[in-house]
Amino acid sequence: MPLVPRVDSDVADSRLSTTAMSSSLTDACTPLKTKYDSCFNAWFEGYLEPVVSATSDEQRKALQKAKAEEYERNCGAMWTDYRDCVQRAVADKGLTQLLEDARKENPMQNPPSPPTKP
Amino acid sequence: MHFFSQLFQFEHPWLHVSHGIWYKYPNPYCAHVASVDVLDRSVNPETGVVRTERIIGVRQNAPAWVIKILGCTPDTYVREVSFVDPVTRHTSLTTVNLSMSQYLTVLERIHYLPSADKPDTTEFHQTAEIQAARGTWRALAERLERWSVERISQNAQAGREGFEHVLRTFQTPSQAIEASAA
Repeated sequence: MPLVPRVDSDVADSRLSTTAMSSSLTDACTPLKTKYDSCFNAWFEGYLEPVVSATSDEQRKALQKAKAEEYERNCGAMWTDYRDCVQRAVADKGLTQLLEDARKENPMQNPPSPPTKP
Repeated sequence: MHFFSQLFQFEHPWLHVSHGIWYKYPNPYCAHVASVDVLDRSVNPETGVVRTERIIGVRQNAPAWVIKILGCTPDTYVREVSFVDPVTRHTSLTTVNLSMSQYLTVLERIHYLPSADKPDTTEFHQTAEIQAARGTWRALAERLERWSVERISQNAQAGREGFEHVLRTFQTPSQAIEASAA
């Protein structure tokens, strides 16, 4: 079996339906979201474990690079379609400014420190 | 300012929990979550950290007095930024409300880390800071903050049970395919 299963077919979609997925902001984006989420989840499954178990920084970075390319190849187009739809939905619901303000206030570009041990 | 915090362990390995965050909704314990969307996602080529920004639509059952004062809409939205760090094995989710932020800021932070003593379990740390906006009438601010803390502790319990349910039941794509082939 390939490490990352194909998810861009209806067959794969119906197989994935055992785990329910949440809806999008608007019904129009939900099919695009489902497709993209399935693609990302499959990719992430093939990403996290090998990267966690990499034995050297060099090996890990090479793996990350290959996985980044694989993500772009498998999910890149689905992401663009979905993102465009969500951006329109965000604008339609009047959330664009709230979101911009929140990003300005707290960009959260870097992970927070882990909690200190009690 | 009011604070809330809780700490416990999930009986699942960190790797499983870190997959589970993408399957957290819908779950029968958190019916108030109406929608989940990814706004932005990136993988840091140096650190391998996956950063995801999501917008989550929430249906709040606000008490009548809150609706009366704030005139709040049934759907409110929160922004969530998560990081999954495969090297330090630290997963974090920070959530801030977008709606009603002119009255109140609720900043919630969750951390998932492998337990130091039991590697097959995951530590869950949750903190929340609730702050009424400056200029809000003091008695109202106090009441709003208290109501929010109550809501957060109720939701925290449901969130914990809901995520536990998801962690027991979700299938990753390859597991789903194996199950359907069996």
